[in-house]
Parts: sequence; structure tokens; C-alpha cells
Amino acid sequence: MFGRYGGPGRYGSARGRAVRRTGSARETRCNPGTPRRTVTQVRHLPYGDPGRPDLRSPGRFLLRTAAQQWRTLAVGTVYGIAWMVAQALVPAAIGRGLDAGVAGHDLGAALRWSLVVLALALVQAVAGVARHRVAVDNWLRASFRSMQLLARHCAQVGVAVRAKLPTGEVVSAATNDALYIGGAFDISARLAGALVSYIVVAVLLLRTSAPLGVIVLVGVPAMLIALGPLLRPLQRRQRHQREVAGKLTALGADTVAGLRVLGGIGGEPAFLARYVARSGELRAAGVRVAGLQASLDAAQVLLPGVFLVVVTWLGARLALQGHLSPGDIVAFYGYAFFLVLPIRTAIEAADKITRSLVGARRIIGVLETVPEIAEPADPAPTPLPGAVLIDARSGLTVTPGRLTGLVASDPDQTAAIAHRLGRLADDKGDAGDKGDAGDQGDAGDGYDAGDEGGGGVTLGGTPLRRLPVDVVRRRILVAEAEPRLFTGVLRDELDPWDRTRGDGDLLAGLHVAAAADVLDALPEGLGSTVDEGGRSFSGGQRQRLALARAVLADPEILVLVEPTSAVDAHTEAVVARRLRGAREGRERTTVVTSASPLLLDRCDVVAYVEHDRVVATGTHRDLLRSNENYRDTVTRGEDL
Amino acid sequence: MTGPTSPSSLLPVASGAQVRAKARELAARHCGPLTRMLAMNALAAGAAVAGPRLLGAMVQGVRDGTTAGHIDRLALLLTGSILAQTALTWGARRSSFVLGETVFAELREGFLARVLSLPLSTVERAGTGDLVTRSTGDVEALARTVRFAVPEVLVALVTVALTVVAAFATGPLVALPMLAGVPLISVGTSWYLHRAPAGYLRERECYAAFNGSLAETVEGARTVEAMSLSERRIERMEGEIAAAYAAERVTLRLRSVWFPTVELAYALPVAASLLWGGWLVTAGHASLAQVTAVTLYAVQIADPVDRLISWLDEVQIGATALSRILGVGLVPDDRVATAQTPVDERIGATGVRFAYRQGHDVVHGVDLDLRPGERLAVVGPSGAGKSTLGRLLAGVHPPRTGSVTVGGVPLVDLALDRLRGHVVLVTQEHHVFVGTLAENLLLARPGATDAELRSALGAVEALGWADGLPRGLATELGSGGHPITPAQAQQLALARLVLADPHTLVLDEATSLLDPRAARHLERSLARVLRGRTVVAIAHRLHTAHDADRVAVVEDGRISELGSHDQLMAAGGAYAALWTSWREGSTEHTAPANAL
Repeated sequence: MFGRYGGPGRYGSARGRAVRRTGSARETRCNPGTPRRTVTQVRHLPYGDPGRPDLRSPGRFLLRTAAQQWRTLAVGTVYGIAWMVAQALVPAAIGRGLDAGVAGHDLGAALRWSLVVLALALVQAVAGVARHRVAVDNWLRASFRSMQLLARHCAQVGVAVRAKLPTGEVVSAATNDALYIGGAFDISARLAGALVSYIVVAVLLLRTSAPLGVIVLVGVPAMLIALGPLLRPLQRRQRHQREVAGKLTALGADTVAGLRVLGGIGGEPAFLARYVARSGELRAAGVRVAGLQASLDAAQVLLPGVFLVVVTWLGARLALQGHLSPGDIVAFYGYAFFLVLPIRTAIEAADKITRSLVGARRIIGVLETVPEIAEPADPAPTPLPGAVLIDARSGLTVTPGRLTGLVASDPDQTAAIAHRLGRLADDKGDAGDKGDAGDQGDAGDGYDAGDEGGGGVTLGGTPLRRLPVDVVRRRILVAEAEPRLFTGVLRDELDPWDRTRGDGDLLAGLHVAAAADVLDALPEGLGSTVDEGGRSFSGGQRQRLALARAVLADPEILVLVEPTSAVDAHTEAVVARRLRGAREGRERTTVVTSASPLLLDRCDVVAYVEHDRVVATGTHRDLLRSNENYRDTVTRGEDL
Repeated sequence: MTGPTSPSSLLPVASGAQVRAKARELAARHCGPLTRMLAMNALAAGAAVAGPRLLGAMVQGVRDGTTAGHIDRLALLLTGSILAQTALTWGARRSSFVLGETVFAELREGFLARVLSLPLSTVERAGTGDLVTRSTGDVEALARTVRFAVPEVLVALVTVALTVVAAFATGPLVALPMLAGVPLISVGTSWYLHRAPAGYLRERECYAAFNGSLAETVEGARTVEAMSLSERRIERMEGEIAAAYAAERVTLRLRSVWFPTVELAYALPVAASLLWGGWLVTAGHASLAQVTAVTLYAVQIADPVDRLISWLDEVQIGATALSRILGVGLVPDDRVATAQTPVDERIGATGVRFAYRQGHDVVHGVDLDLRPGERLAVVGPSGAGKSTLGRLLAGVHPPRTGSVTVGGVPLVDLALDRLRGHVVLVTQEHHVFVGTLAENLLLARPGATDAELRSALGAVEALGWADGLPRGLATELGSGGHPITPAQAQQLALARLVLADPHTLVLDEATSLLDPRAARHLERSLARVLRGRTVVAIAHRLHTAHDADRVAVVEDGRISELGSHDQLMAAGGAYAALWTSWREGSTEHTAPANAL
């Protein structure tokens, strides 16, 4: 069909549904001869390994992605060419039909040429649907690869990502930008078809009439270039519009997320006003885009239109002189009309490639965040189980197999020590540029002890910084003060690592955390769904579920930061007793930061911290007797 | 709150009739611009249909041996039609974009306004997940529909109609083949449209699930890191990608049938008009010019028809999104403000029962009178219904039976802003909004001066760190802004409370994230600031109870003990047992405990 072009731009459509639009064909079963080549039976996504992206520049990012799916791109190109060339030949068939059949009063010829038109339509339909399927495949591969890269990166170095970017922007990189990247791949097959069909039409024209052929050959690129000046400002404004839109969506989501706070205390008018103001900005940005977008659309009418007039007018004059037949004029008209397709395809391709470059830039922005916790350049051998954990900076020694309490009047101090113990955070002092200066033997001797502010943590004498991070994580688990639960079935979320534990184990874990009552209230017990970060649970319930999860992880060294801060005294006493029972006697080491006498009384040893240093060590009862500050701290300032 | 609620089922969805009514209302409200836009499009399409007629005349002229001058005149006319079409297209496109932007802005603002005025009980119970989805996914889906799909469909309709009219105007008999594709298109498209929306909806759900998981992963990044959950998170997100892929395959299959069908349907009229035209011309019923023009119309009409049908399902999806967006407006108000005015500031509960799920009361007949200016501590084991009682006292939930009144007026008979003037609830859930520190505070008292904000921060002992922020009150907080600790966020929530300044406050574990000593300190300084205010403090820390004027022990949805600390200790009931259990560790070996 020479009147139809590749698709109505789908200007704002971020979704890949934009890919469906064009010519098409019968189902792919129609390609029995080339089952391996059709790529219609694609490998299932997601990829087992999305590969390593090239983060040096947006262009390189796209090129790397292209290299990773070159076969699909190549197959798409073949179908795209077949599909578009079949369309390019339709005007010739119509011209012949009009000449031979209609003007020549030959019904047989009319029938013949109308069958040719149908046959071309059939080819176009078959190649079209194949092309579409491959285009979708191309789109999905590129988009989903980017989504996978983002997902993996966020799962692995989310802490650094979160410190750098708002969550909304990260999500938008996956929802919008990843799909924009797919757009460039989606259009590759049509772009190839556009180029080849342009050449085919040029040859046909040149054979019929050299001057007209030359005009077409020169005219089409000239039109493309003429549109250039419009495109850049349009894209700039679109980019701006997209950014404003992203921010507005984030603002809306943020407002909705804080709805309970607003509901409790008010402030809705101010928030609505703020949203409406930003919404107005977005509308204004949209209107600024509208003018240019309309100009581009109008230019897409004007330029091909003028071109069409020139070609047919010249054609008609040549026909008058007997160089061309009437059918040839119609064919020329048809060619000029058809050429709108490759032109628009090229414009659309320019737009999509630009968008995907912008998308790639934003995705790179997420992907190039580096983990705060660096892997050692030259890892030390893993210390044997039962190794002593020492925090040189605070002077804390964690004895294997014991339950150690960690107390400070300022819980931030103990939390900081706890985070160091599991290398959740590197000290600002020693996270210096030198990294882990490889000046350590395997038997680290109070690593950096002399380096002020250094005070590295060692496990069995080996600095944690010289152990692979996953080894540290496996052996030392730090459950933070505000652990999050994640969406999923409770059974899986309690044992998210290998999910092989039986319900009996899980119930035992819940028992330790005194969380059995949480389970009782759930209609489907362990099979219930935890939603939205466990938001449907109360703070105390969340804390106990998270504690159960930490206990079920059963690491060699478990560091619990304020594990019972949100539960009532009665429950706290129960947890303290059961926690000890669950950890002792199995060479399990436990550190608890807390100022609760109920917990501390169950500890084998309690370390009291002042000004980031351990100043007293002993049992809870010893310290109560001997250290006034300690007593003040754990009796919670009860000047009763 | 006891146990989870099921959030997804709680928000309604508008019916098809309500969506259509809304569409009509929008069309009526924007009648002027809409008419102008359609008129310009009609004129642009009208200019476009001149092309085939002029070309037909040209071909006829060439065959009949006309002059070069005639050809030139026809070419000039053709140029004119192109120029007119260009200008009209510009105007039409621009006005349709502007209209789309306007309508969409209106819809999203209306949506947020409605969300912000949702009944408190719905917000508390429905959770914010579904609402966030509606405010992002559905609003974006609607954006595509309003900004692109609806204008495209309207324009395509006008163009198709005009092309058909032009063809029949050329010659009714000659134009008959124009209709050859209609059966195939209508059968194929209706087959597709019956299946497509569900397929695309499923796609969207899959993407939304992935986005939710990604957001959760980023938000909970520290937990992911600390607990080595990255493998699990990746597995989950890739599972969702796999689901999205499966959903994409389903719609791809639909298109694989639909595309070739309509493709053939576009070719049929062209082939038919060549054949039919050949016969008509041979038999002397039509001219070459007529057949040429109709054949070209048959070719041309494919484009607008294609636009029309390929945007139709987008319109369907937009309608679904709109139904979810309008659904938020259908939540019935949980309270009707009456004109009653409280006579004093006394808050009291009488025979209050409440259930989240029908038939499962979690509060069983509570009677409680708050004495103005007192501090009442509510304690009790987890899950006993303390938080629910707090919400009832704050007027968040209407009781199932019984009443909670202020000055004789049921709390739920007060308009929301008046209710907040009386009683405010602060929970342990702290949300720091994206915005400056000042903006985060101003929501409690719009128009407060910087001095007032600073003094509120001072009252909750947050002035120290607040002044230490890079730009003080103007520091951007919230996601992507300057990070603050959960404890600081909690102080912020309390500072809002100070600014809101109601006569009664319900603090539900409002200091739970502070360390005990700081919490106690803060509670005492708050008490100074809030002197004369009635405070209901739900607490798991018993020092809060110790410091309070009265203590209410909640067990199993009932107030089992009520009295001062000393009275309850003397009574030797559950509270005394709890207190002893808490003090045990630190008292049994230390110097004689002072009299409790």
C-alpha cells in the first residue's frame, strides 16, 4: 500500500505498544522453510545474563546492546526490506493496470494487474507480520536487557543508587527509558526497508525517466535535511517535557505515599497547590512542544506534498510529449506518495534514536553508581569459623559463641559500630582513596591500628576490607534498626535465601521472635502475602517478623541493631530469652545493640560505649554495680 | 492495627456508564476548542481529497491530449491544496495537542484533589499501594489516551468520512469497490478488540509489578545489602520481567492475526476498483479520470482507517484507566459534617465497638472519658487493639457502635479540618515528603513564619540537626534529597504536631524510633510545650506510662485497667505484672528501687 507509512509516530507513547502499527502478514507458520532464521521462536526473556553494558557513552551503550542481539537485528532487516519493497512496487502495478486494463479497455489485463496488486499485498502482509514480530522481539530484547541491568544493579548496589537518585527517577529509568531504548531497535528493520525501497523506487524512476529519477534521488534526502532544523528544538522541548512529567509523577506518588501523614495532620491544600502548580508547568511544557510538533507534522504534509506535485507535474508534461503513458503518471504519483513512508520512517528513526540516546544517558546515570563498599583488590583467605571479630576503632572484641550486648547512651554510636562489624559502612576515615593499601600480610595485626581514624574491623585477624564482600555478608549478618520486609508470600520472605525450610523451621523462627501472634492474625498463615514493605503490619509486628527472618538466616555472627525497640516490655522479655536459646550452644555469635535491661541481662558480656570507644566490659549486673553511667543509660534515665 | 488488610479490593472502579458520562462532560466543557479542532481537521482532510481528483483530471487530459497550460493549471491547483492542507494541519495538530494537554492536566489535578480528600478511614485501611498505582500507571495510561488517542481517532474519523464522500462524489457506481474491505476489517478488528484490552491490561500489570519491585528494592536497599537479599530481589524482578514477556507474547499473537487481516482488507478495494473500473470503462459507464481517482482514494483511505483502528484499543485502555481514576471519587464519605459545634474540649468514648472485617470486632465496648489537660498512657500487649483505639479517639474511624465525641459532638460529625483543630493523630509511620524542611513542616500550619518553624523544631529538640543541614530550613528532604534518619523523621512528625496545636493529641508510638533516653527526654520537653493539652500516648515503653497522669491497659480490645500508675501498681493486676517484668532486669540487683 503506497499510501501508508510506517506508523503514526505515536508521539508520547512510552510503551512498546508503539511497535504494533504497521504492515503485517499471515502468521509465522507461513515460514516453514526457515525455522531457524525466523526468530519468531525467540529464546525466552529475561536473559540468563544480561551481559556487561558499555557505560562510556549513550552511543556506546546502544552499540553494545546492538552487538548483543545482532542476529535479531539482521533478520529484522531482511523482513523489513521485503515488506517495504513489496509496497514500493504497488504503484508500478497500478500504473500498468490503468494503462493496459482501464485505458486499454482490456478486461483480461485489468484482471491480471489487479491480481498482481493483490499478490503484492499478500507478500507485504506476510513479510509485514514477520517483520513486526521480529521488531517486537528486537524491542523486547533491548528494553528488557536494560530493565534487567537496572534491576540487577539496584539489587546489588541499591544503597549507592538511593543515595544518588530519587527512587522515582530510578523507576522511571526502567519504565520509560528502558522502553525508549527498545524503540531504536524496534525501528531498525523498517529503517533498513526504507533505505532499500528508496533505492528500488529510484531505479524504477531512472529507467522510466532520467530527469524524474534524478529529482527523486535528490529530493528525498533534501526533504530530510529540511526537516532537521525542526527536530532539534523539538527534541529539546520534549526532553524538558519528559523531565517535568517525571517529576510531577514522582511528586504525585510521593504525596500519595504520605497520605496517612496528611490525613492525620492536614496540609492537603498546600500539597494540592504544589501539585497543581507543577502540573501547570507540565501543561505549559506540553504546549511549547505542541507548536513545534504541529510544525513537524505540517512539514511532513508540505514537503512530500510539494515533492509529489513536482513529480506528477513533470510526469504529466513528459506524458504530453509522449515520453510517458497516463499510467506512468499515476505510478509516479504513487511513488511520490509511497516515498512518504521511507521519509517518515527515517524521521521516526531519528526521533527514536534520539530518545533512546537520552534514555541511555539516564540509564547510565543509574548504572554507573559504584558500590560504597568496594571489593578488595587482592582478597585474603577466608578466616576459619569461630574467628574473633574485633573493631579496632571502638576497641570492641566479639567473642565467638557468645551473646554480646552493646550499649551507649547515644544509640547512633552502637549502630555505627554494628554497621562496621558487618562492613555495611566503611569508615569515612579509612574509606580513603588509597583503598585497602595492600600492605597487609594475611595475619593482619590490628589493621591500620596506627592510622588514626582507621580502626578497621578484623575477623580472625584479617581485615574485613580484604575479604570478598559476599564472604563478609555470609558470615556476619547485620540486621538494621529498620529492616524492611518485601512484597511476597510470607513463607518466602522469612527465608528468602534458598526457601528450602519447612514450615516447622519457620514457625520456630517466628517463635524466637515472639511473632506467632502475628501469624495467627493472618488468614492464610505462612501463605499470606506481605505487601508494600509490610506496611499492613504494625511497627512492632514488622520488627518481629524481620527479627524472625534474621534468626532464620542463622549466620555465624548475627548483629542485631535495636531488635526490640518497637515491641512492648512483655514481648521483649520473651524475645530476649528465646533469642539466647536459639543462638547459644551452636557456636553462634550474636551481638545485640540495645539499652534494654531485659535484653542485656541475657547477654554473656556487655560492652559499654562512650564517645565511640568501649569503656567498660562485663556482665549486665557487674556493670550495673560498677558503672554509674551505664546504670543511667540502661535504666533509661529513670530518675524515679 | 491487627493483621493486614487487603488493600487491593478496597477502592472502587467506575462503571462504563460513569466513564462515558465523564467523557461527555469533558466534551461539553471543552466544546469550543473541540469544535475548532475538528473543523480544522475536516478542512485539512478536505484539502487532501482534492489530490486524486486533480490527478484523475491530469491523466484524463494526457490521454485525451490536452495542453501543457491545462496541466500547469492542474499542478498549480494541486500545489494550492497541499499548501492549504499544510496550514490547516498545523493548526489542527496544534489545537489538538493543546486541548489534550489541557484536558489531561485537568484530569490529573482533579484526581489528586480527590485522593487528598479521601476519607481517613479509607486511606488507613486501603493502604497507599493501589493509590500510588492509580496516580502513576493509570494517570500515564490516560495521558496517552487523552493527548494522542482521542484526537487521532477523531481526526481519522473525519478523514475517513470525507474520503468516502469524495469517492462517491466522483461517481457512486465507480466508488462501490471502496467498501470491499469493510467486512474483513470489521470482523478482524472486532475479534482483536475483544481480546486486546485484557492483553494490554495484563502487560501493564506486569510492568507495574516490576516497577513496584524495583522501587521496593531501591527503597529497601540497605536491608537488601545487609541481608544479602540481592539474589532474591533479582530473582523476583526477573520473574516479573518473564511475566511481562509472556504477556507481550500474548498480544503479539493477537496482532499476528489482526495485522495481516487488515492489511489484506486495505488491498482489496484497490484491486477491486482496478478490475471493476476496467469493466466500467470498457462498458462505457465511467471515465478513466473517475477510475483513477477512486483507485487513488482506495489507496489513500488505508492510512486514516489504520490510524483509527490502531488507536481504538488505546481508547479502550484509556477508558479502563479512567474508570480506575474516577473510581477514587466513588469512595463514599465516611462522615457527614453536621453543623453541630462542640461545647467544650472534652473527648469521650461510650460503648465503642469496631471491626475492620465484618463480624470480627477488635474493640469491644470501650468507655473512656479524657480529662482535659491530662496525659493518658495506653499500654498493653501487641495486637491488643491499642492503635485501633487511638484511631477511634482521633476520629479516623467511625465506631461500629457507640460514639466518640468532643464537647458532645461525635468526632465523625466534624469536617476534617475542624476535626484536626480538636484532635490530631501522630503515628510511628513517618513520611518525609519530597520538598524542603520548611515545606515538610508548613503542612501542619500553612503560613507559619520561619521563627515559628524553628521554635517548633526546638520544642522537639531537632533544631540542632536542622541548623546543621546544608541549607537549613530550605534543605531539600525526602527521596533524592538530603537523607535524614528515621529518628529525625519522627522528630519532624512531632514538630508538625507542635505547629498544628490541637487541644488533644493521640501519639501512637510516636517516639518509638528514638532511643529510650532521647524519647523520654523528648516526651518531657513536648509535655512542656503541650502543657494544658490532652495527650493520649500509646506506648510500649513503660516509662511513658509511669510519667502519665493515668494509664489505660488495653487487652483483647477492652480496657482492663484504668487509673494512675500508683493505683494500678497497688491493684496488682496485669499492669503491675508488666511493670515488674520490665523493671526486673535493672531493679532486682540494684539499690533498693524507689517506691513505684
